Amino acid sequence: MIKEFEGRNEEEAIKNAIEFLGLTKSDIDVEIVEKEKGGFLFKGGKVKIRVHYDENDEEYNATGDPEKRIISFVSGLIDRMGLEVEVKVHGRRENRLELDLVSPDSGIIIGKQGKTLEAIQLLTNIVVGRVASDDYKVVIDSEGYKKRRERNIEQIARRVASQVRKSKGSRLLEPMNPFERRIVHTTLSSYKDIETISEGEGLYKQVRIMYRGDIDRY
Amino acid sequence: MEKDLVEYIAKSLVDDPNGVNVNMIEGEKSTILELRVSEGDIGKVIGKHGRIAKAIRTILSAAATKTGKRVVLEILD
Repeated sequence: MIKEFEGRNEEEAIKNAIEFLGLTKSDIDVEIVEKEKGGFLFKGGKVKIRVHYDENDEEYNATGDPEKRIISFVSGLIDRMGLEVEVKVHGRRENRLELDLVSPDSGIIIGKQGKTLEAIQLLTNIVVGRVASDDYKVVIDSEGYKKRRERNIEQIARRVASQVRKSKGSRLLEPMNPFERRIVHTTLSSYKDIETISEGEGLYKQVRIMYRGDIDRY
Repeated sequence: MEKDLVEYIAKSLVDDPNGVNVNMIEGEKSTILELRVSEGDIGKVIGKHGRIAKAIRTILSAAATKTGKRVVLEILD
């Protein structure tokens, strides 16, 4: 197989090729197709390379080792965000890979209410669909944020539940993603006098916690 | 830097990486990035209800935290 790649210099072009193909430098033969020298003010150089590689290698990596490609996608992504990161495998289950992003900039990687982390996870899972089977899932956390958030949501759910129990009314929580809403629903599922429903549209819906009284619903 | 980031993400999502083109227009306080992809790949960078486009924008603003400059992504068709 032959594929072309670009970069500002030869080194970057090769790096792009290796990352994209999920191969190592020794697996590929590189031929330089085009070389534009940079220099004038801000204009950078450009190098186009043609990479020759064994298709079997790619296939092996695509089906046999999606993990390597996923990790290289994630570290390539965060690297280009201008942040330092070490991508660690936190756990492996059947069809499921858990990654932990260790970084001095983990606050930025996580983002407000974990939104950046969610975005990274979403894109990664779409890219995963291209290198692994459809039911393969990647879960990405950074410095234990999701565990902390989980516990935090459980606490909020219980606190709000006891408030509506007193007021005999209902309260709407802040917008949450599906994973976070599930925590609220399951935490309060054993509270027979409390009901929880999701309201709104899109990915980030709000959970309403309602007092249902002592009515025996079953 | 942000241009590289958008290029990298777009190329990982589309079927035709060679069709990815990012044009950067730099202003004083904000940078506009215009993303073009091959005709058949538009849906791949936007996603259902714009989910993917939104994720790319979220990642872009995170990347811009350190520089403090606003980055706007426009997907052109």
